Amino acid sequence: MSPETRTQYQEELDRLEASGLGGLDLVSAALQRTLEAVEHQDVELAQLVVADDDRIDGRYLEVHQSLITLLATQSPVATDLRLISALLHVLKNVERMGDQCVNICKMIPLSGNEPPADEEMVRLILTMGRQTRTLIGQAKRAFEGRDVEMAQDLVRQDDVVDNLNRECFRLALEIGDDADKREWAMTMLLAARAIERIGDNAVDIGEQVAFVVTGLFREFEDASHPSA
Amino acid sequence: MSAGESHALMLDRGNLKRRNRVNRLVEVFSSIAALLAVAVLVIVVSSVVTKGIGAVSLHFLTTPMGLFGDTSGGISNAIVGTAIIVGIAAAMAIPVGLLVAIYTTEFAPPRIGHAIRFALDLLNGVPTIITGIFVYGLIVESQKHQSGFAGSVALAIIMLPIVARTAQEVLTLVPGTLKEAAHALGIARWRTTVRVTLPTAAGGLLTGALLAVARVAGETAPLILVCSIFGQGVLTEPSQALASIPVFIFQSSESPSPEAHTQAWAAALILIAFVLVLNVVARAFYARSRQRMEG
Amino acid sequence: MSQVAKQSEQPLRMDPVSSRQPQPSLREIGNVELRGLHAYYGSNHAVRGVSLGFDSGAVTAIIGPSGCGKSTMVRCINRMHEEILGARAEGEVLLDGIDLYDSRIDVVAVRRSVGMVFQKPNPFPTMSVFDNVTSGLRLTGASRGEMDDRGREALVGAGLWEEVKDRLKGPGTGLSGGQQQRLCIARALAVDPEVLLMDEPCSALDPVATLKIEELIGELKERVTIVIVTHNMQQAARVADTTAFMLNGELVEVGATDKLFTNPDDDRTEQYVTGKFG
Repeated sequence: MSPETRTQYQEELDRLEASGLGGLDLVSAALQRTLEAVEHQDVELAQLVVADDDRIDGRYLEVHQSLITLLATQSPVATDLRLISALLHVLKNVERMGDQCVNICKMIPLSGNEPPADEEMVRLILTMGRQTRTLIGQAKRAFEGRDVEMAQDLVRQDDVVDNLNRECFRLALEIGDDADKREWAMTMLLAARAIERIGDNAVDIGEQVAFVVTGLFREFEDASHPSA
Repeated sequence: MSAGESHALMLDRGNLKRRNRVNRLVEVFSSIAALLAVAVLVIVVSSVVTKGIGAVSLHFLTTPMGLFGDTSGGISNAIVGTAIIVGIAAAMAIPVGLLVAIYTTEFAPPRIGHAIRFALDLLNGVPTIITGIFVYGLIVESQKHQSGFAGSVALAIIMLPIVARTAQEVLTLVPGTLKEAAHALGIARWRTTVRVTLPTAAGGLLTGALLAVARVAGETAPLILVCSIFGQGVLTEPSQALASIPVFIFQSSESPSPEAHTQAWAAALILIAFVLVLNVVARAFYARSRQRMEG
Repeated sequence: MSQVAKQSEQPLRMDPVSSRQPQPSLREIGNVELRGLHAYYGSNHAVRGVSLGFDSGAVTAIIGPSGCGKSTMVRCINRMHEEILGARAEGEVLLDGIDLYDSRIDVVAVRRSVGMVFQKPNPFPTMSVFDNVTSGLRLTGASRGEMDDRGREALVGAGLWEEVKDRLKGPGTGLSGGQQQRLCIARALAVDPEVLLMDEPCSALDPVATLKIEELIGELKERVTIVIVTHNMQQAARVADTTAFMLNGELVEVGATDKLFTNPDDDRTEQYVTGKFG
């Protein structure tokens, strides 16, 4: 079967997929900088991340628009149609992830410039962040390779992040009576929660991988149906 | 290649002038040839008209021929005779020709169809004098006398291939999709032929018939052999020999008297007028039929 | 496409929702079934062992690249295939359980139960609009009144009555392309067939006329089983409940239209509908 027909269309679709998934690279970079900003309480770096989110939003709009145009003009069906549907979801996930990074960064001036109240909590958050970056990378590879098994493995990887989040919560409860400390702990919890949400978004991307490949939409794990 | 290069390729390299001259020359010569062809028709028609118009009159058209040598009469019996002979010939040839055409286009297997077409083309090429001799031997000799009917038979044989071939051409032109549509409605083959194919081709079929009539109206050789010795007055019985226009022209032209010659021209004028009118009408029907089929 | 309905305890799984289920058959007649159908043009084996059913009350589309045998297969259903010199068919074509290729069956009668509309509109040029519609009826010896009624009904059923009611006596070929095709549909409907075969009925029409006929197909499917051959996949997607994909004379895949166009089973189907070949 000669692939000579519709090469322009195929190329455009490939380009949009690459561009959409490229958003995940942007998110991963933003998350790294966010973690650095948290670690060093770097307000300037945090502001940079917030400003840079425009790039992620821009990527979302551009790819989204092109996908809609492709839908209108090329009447895609079967795998192509599922791919476009999946990419639209993935774009949304990417955008949300970017917003979570921004949320974290916006908190950084609030938690003050003094040394952190609890080293362990900070370490936990940094670990969560690194693990989540791994998740993002794996989600991207799973999508590119249409690897359903790898996508399903994201659930296990995300469980690690969820467990770390619970650890943070426990630590925050035991932080003590100091009002400043407590405020700091609350803020850290919010940051942890944002990272956990990024992880969930990565799992969602894994579900889209399964949809493209099998044509079936299955929730790997839903908040209302915990696997544990 | 660049725009400049392709532009350079388009420039004349000297043979443009020669080509133009050759074009003009060919144009001129083919126009002359065309004019010549038309001129011949014009000359023939105009000679007939100028030489014959003098003798054409109501008297000429309504009085039968006089006795041999007497040029005071007209050609009414010849007109009637031609009408009867050609009429009977048409009544024989047209239905048969149509049926043959229908058979070969609608029902016959292709090889038989080809064979029949070939046979018809051959028949078309048989010189009419031979047809005349054949009919002479077949009918006149066995009946021991000439007859209008024998003339009709000869003319019918000449008409048959013309009617059949034209009808075949027209029937083949009927779009296959129409027949398909009829079959898909559950209409049987013969009914499709009668209700769909024939009506659609009707104009062309009529054309074929008219052209065949126009062609044989002036056939002289067979009539000379089988229907040239006739009695006085306006005769209408086909079992006897009847007068006819072509025979009249032939016989009058052999006569020494100049009045007879003029009468021959006049009869020729009548004949040619009839043939021309038939041709024009036939072509008009054909054009309409083509238009209909192209939807 | 990914509506989440939380009903079970398991993590949810769901097939793409088929929004167009074939209606339960309101008619007991008009079920066509092909069993092991082979069709030949001389030695050319154009249809190779196709077994396929067409549900009553539904529209089935046949898609596939040029030369895949879809038109040939459809023409076997009303036995038009054998009209071509050297063509023959083997196998069974069942209409409500009766094999149309049985030697006792009258070919002409088959075609009154299985009607056909062609690619290029072909009204009879020598007949008026109304005579065209009733042309199939005249041979059954129907009375004048009955012909008038059924002719009118057919024109209404084809969505053409309003447009031509004032020029019923005018020539059939005097209508626009889209109207002519609907006239041909009316003509086919007038003999009250159980099945209507449509061989690329919109290929020669402009987009507006095409859409009108597609709407008409949607209305007609309740009274006739419709089989439509089309090379326009979007059209198949729009009008058909079931779609069958043919390739090189064989039936590759058949299924609900939604499924075929969102998640086909066979890779060849996937390649064809996404335009990778054909």
